[in-house]
Amino acid sequence: MAFGPHVALISARGAFFVFGVKVKRTVDLGVLYSSSGTYAAISQAVLRGTLAGVEEINADPSNPIRFQPIVRDPKGQLERYAPLCAEILESSKARHVFGCVTSSSRKEVIPTLDRTNAMLWYNLPFEGFETSNRVIYNHACANQHLLPLLSWCFGNFGTMPYLIGSNYIWGWETCRVARMRVEDAGGQVLGERYLPLGEEDVATLIAEIESLRPRFILNSLVGASSYAFLRAYADLGRRDPYFRAEQCPVVSCNLTEAELPLLGGAAEGLVSVGPHFCASQSEGGRDSSFENISRQSVHTLAAMLVAQGEQPFESFIAEQGDLFGIDPATHHSTLEVDVAQVRDGVFKVLHHWSDVAPDPYLTRPARHPRIDRPRLSVVS
Amino acid sequence: MAGLLGIPNLDQACALVVHPVPDHAAALMRQLKAIGLRVIHAWPDLPAWAITADFVFYDTDMGYDAQFPWEPGQAPMPMIALVGSEAPGRIEWAARMGADALLLKPVGSSGAFSALLMAHHSFELRQSLNAEIKQLRHRVSARQTVVQAVALLSAHGKSQDAAYDQLRQMAMAWRINVEDAALRIVENAKDEGNLRDCN
Repeated sequence: MAFGPHVALISARGAFFVFGVKVKRTVDLGVLYSSSGTYAAISQAVLRGTLAGVEEINADPSNPIRFQPIVRDPKGQLERYAPLCAEILESSKARHVFGCVTSSSRKEVIPTLDRTNAMLWYNLPFEGFETSNRVIYNHACANQHLLPLLSWCFGNFGTMPYLIGSNYIWGWETCRVARMRVEDAGGQVLGERYLPLGEEDVATLIAEIESLRPRFILNSLVGASSYAFLRAYADLGRRDPYFRAEQCPVVSCNLTEAELPLLGGAAEGLVSVGPHFCASQSEGGRDSSFENISRQSVHTLAAMLVAQGEQPFESFIAEQGDLFGIDPATHHSTLEVDVAQVRDGVFKVLHHWSDVAPDPYLTRPARHPRIDRPRLSVVS
Repeated sequence: MAGLLGIPNLDQACALVVHPVPDHAAALMRQLKAIGLRVIHAWPDLPAWAITADFVFYDTDMGYDAQFPWEPGQAPMPMIALVGSEAPGRIEWAARMGADALLLKPVGSSGAFSALLMAHHSFELRQSLNAEIKQLRHRVSARQTVVQAVALLSAHGKSQDAAYDQLRQMAMAWRINVEDAALRIVENAKDEGNLRDCN
């Protein structure tokens, strides 16, 4: 069979050439983030990262892929995620969706993904205990955020925390694991409270913390509840020096640069954990790990689509996920882990662990980072 | 804390999946690997080392007693039944084999972790109850020895209450339980020829 110069040719890697110029293959890409709602700042960070990644791929003439984003906005309403995910998959050729902020919303869309053999790229920290074949978990699970954070807290502030969280699976499971770790370490949880998503009345929490005087506070509140609490806690610290960061810090597994602009001065002294923090002031909360990992994930997807060929994506990951940084067994990634504190509006890294392999079910203690300190022994 | 379901260390724990069609158990095996277990498939014969596996998942549609190198209900590890047909006869067989947890087929991308935790918890509970029953049986069977020891101690003019109290004090001093203390007293008495009607 002969081809004239006017005929498009397809190369082994799937790139089209017309008149010697590489023509990109257009790939529909689902995007399912809420631009409004209580956790909008986080959504906007992952959305920004995803679209930045898409722009970079599309602008790269050497990349044979051109992503066409198919964007839907559930507006922070849980019941809208599954129908909008289905709409993306039915109304376009998208087989991959970047989406979901809360674990509840992720669990809502998994049945749709199962039914349609599509893939969700989930780019935020989560509590673990899930390894769906239809999800790629690019951010940290509990052995890559909560366990190292607790180890750091126990060493520096002791084992008598107060636990607060939003009233859904992220808050529940984070506090449950923290409670078990505290008890294993011989400590005591002084209090454990949950607020409904969006609740901003934190007076009772603050009063209870003030009277119990814990050694640190593990904050798993999300969005508006978290901002209200952190502002009220900063006020408490001004009234009573015990509640300043040097003595009783607020620590969190889900605070990044993305939310610092909303907190202003109330963010000073907060401690967080994550795979990456910006070394200098990030303008408008940009370049958080949420944003960065989303952007990188778009690049990873593009590279995988080029290499995938005709093979189904599921078996392609099982065989070659490792080459793209995705563990075929868990669909998670090995990550760097930093514990960092906000000082003068910038996260300063206080402790670092390299290459922490994922353990989403917390069944592999060898993968649990800790800070080992010499044991004190009595000299007689 | 009591009531909390602890997560066991499952790193490199071995799960044996006894299922006639490996492809149909692929999703289950993938989950188990994600959780951190080593997974080995077997059908119909179990390998000789099966007895050392940490968990056994077994098919209840096609499974049969002779597959297992232990008596029904006597598995030395937690057993998880893979249930397809919910016919009562098959459920009855799953139960007789000693199912610590059930997982309904077809197994998708979830369920294995819950089944492992439940099975581990049930198995540990059963083991500790069995140990307690064994200990209680021992104590019940030692009743006659206790009566003999009290009789020996009260032979010196003590009331039975005072003799029993003395037996308890001796057990505490020797740091053993009352039944073992009673046995020691009876054995001593036998050696000294004070207990003629004992055989």
